[in-house]
Amino acid sequence: MSQYLITFLSALTDASSLFVAAAGLTLVFGALRIINIAHGSFYAFGAFGVTTVVGAAAGGWRFWLALVAVPVAVAALGGVTEVTVLRRVYSKDHLAQLVVTYALFLIFGDVALRVWGSAARSVPVPSVLGGSVTIGAGEFPVYDLFAIGVAVVVGLGLWTLLQRTALGWRIRAAVEDRELLASAGTNVPLLFTTIFVLGALLAGLAGALGAPLQSVSPGLDSSIIISAFIVSVIGGLGSIAGAAIGAVIIALFNTAGVLWAPSWEPAFIYLAMIAVLALRPWGLLGTAER
Amino acid sequence: MEPLTIKAARKERRVAPALAGSALIVVVLALLPLMMPAAPLLNVQSAIGLALFACATNLLIGYGGLVSFGQGAFYGIGAYVVALAWLHLDASFWVSLVCAPIVGGVVALAAGLLALRTRRLYFALLTLAVSQLFYVVVQQQEKFTGGANGVFGPIVPSFLLDPANGYWFTLAVVVVGLLALWQVTRSPFGMTLRAIRENRERAEALGVNVFLHQLLAFVISGAFCALAGVLFVVYDQSANPNLFNWTESGYPIFMAVLGGQFTFLGPALGALIYEQARDVLLASFTDSQLVFGVVLLVVVLVAPDGVAGLLGRGGRILAGRWRAIAPARLGGTPGGQADGADNPAGEAGQHETVAH
Repeated sequence: MSQYLITFLSALTDASSLFVAAAGLTLVFGALRIINIAHGSFYAFGAFGVTTVVGAAAGGWRFWLALVAVPVAVAALGGVTEVTVLRRVYSKDHLAQLVVTYALFLIFGDVALRVWGSAARSVPVPSVLGGSVTIGAGEFPVYDLFAIGVAVVVGLGLWTLLQRTALGWRIRAAVEDRELLASAGTNVPLLFTTIFVLGALLAGLAGALGAPLQSVSPGLDSSIIISAFIVSVIGGLGSIAGAAIGAVIIALFNTAGVLWAPSWEPAFIYLAMIAVLALRPWGLLGTAER
Repeated sequence: MEPLTIKAARKERRVAPALAGSALIVVVLALLPLMMPAAPLLNVQSAIGLALFACATNLLIGYGGLVSFGQGAFYGIGAYVVALAWLHLDASFWVSLVCAPIVGGVVALAAGLLALRTRRLYFALLTLAVSQLFYVVVQQQEKFTGGANGVFGPIVPSFLLDPANGYWFTLAVVVVGLLALWQVTRSPFGMTLRAIRENRERAEALGVNVFLHQLLAFVISGAFCALAGVLFVVYDQSANPNLFNWTESGYPIFMAVLGGQFTFLGPALGALIYEQARDVLLASFTDSQLVFGVVLLVVVLVAPDGVAGLLGRGGRILAGRWRAIAPARLGGTPGGQADGADNPAGEAGQHETVAH
């Protein structure tokens, strides 16, 4: 029994960082109607940034500093990107938008390679979160529980932000009808910058959170963006709750694949996405695109 | 219907110089093996193969308004049909050359039935998922596909291994393929496809079966992408899983955007520019992706109709000056100019420059 619980918890650990990344992607899409491929770059910057701040020293306060400072720095980069580039493509067709964010993805990819090199890096878990807890007959790492906890807090925080604050009210209004919102006196360009910064912050946080869980190397940007696409498309682009459901579904599919059909495992997530979209073309919690 | 007829007649008039210009380009390309060493020739050969890939993809993007991020799937299928038929069945290259586009078309039919239920970004992401599915499955099923290493060996007939022969074969297949694609875009079907792109609701109201038209476009594009995939095997003597990767599916899109998605040969121009520029970039910059990314950004933001669009605009300005000098010769009004920018027929485009 405890074996199943541990397997389930490892799946949730995978889901946690994925959810935080996908939540940012889906939030930006919901309001700005842009699929930001460079979201993967922001994630990678988050992970690489943590390796720089933490350094080789295990444990200590540096990890906590990195967990806060790195996402904020990535968010700032997101703000600059939105103001200088993305703002110009909102009125263009979705092909132009995809190509522009892909161009940013390429540029950021080379920048990351320049700054951090091509060697794989690892981030030691801080000593407070090291070790593991005993669950029945098995052991489960404390850091993984921490990651799940952060994802839950982020999810609840986003829900509160969107449902209970004036900013959230405006973001939801921008999803519904941006012209009406503008004529009601809201500074929509500023709101869009804010949303994009928030999205980049989430990507940076997801990267920072995921850094100790994996080896940090080039190619992280491309692999996470594909997973985040799948998660947010399954959940329904624009839906935070959908991103949470999608992340858990994908993580469970992956785990099931590893357990029962290892040689077909990588195909599972794509089959899941194709199956969901064949039945519900707008994702589980999405609404039909106009 | 009168204005339409006039427009069509005007278009027909532009076809002749466009064809003459294209024929000239083909002749120049055909002569290259006589004056070029093997290494740069191989690079041009690759670009010519990619030109077919890009133009086939642009049938969806420029003409259909369907952004498929999964055409790499059909490109890869074309390559793998030839490679696997050689590996497992010892089949003749010529048989697989014919079979590859058919298989590509059939797979596109299945994928299209699924993907065309969705629209716009969902369509882009679903086609991406289909190509990624092939990517991971081909990597995993090592016994059948050769796994991550792919299939390599004497897949193509030995006479195609000669650089000049391989080049001429590629050029011939691409010319035939592009002529066929061009006929598709000029047919009533191609016109209807554009009408759907411009205004889906109106086309539906006119009784057009939108789904069927888009599905057929997807199948045709898939078949020609597969044909381009066969040419990759001629170029590289191998098939590898990376052909299916989503980044591979990005290339024809960028070539179309770079060259000009609203002209028929724009994507081909983009392929030539991209392949040549990539070599220069790789030789002179370590950060070649960065430079390429910046170029893409600038093209999308400054010249959304690509290099062909720029050339076309330049050509029209020159033509306008010419008309101002000799108004009697062309009958005065610059009426033919307005439709060039938003009309993907584009037999004008860069060839107007050639013509003038």
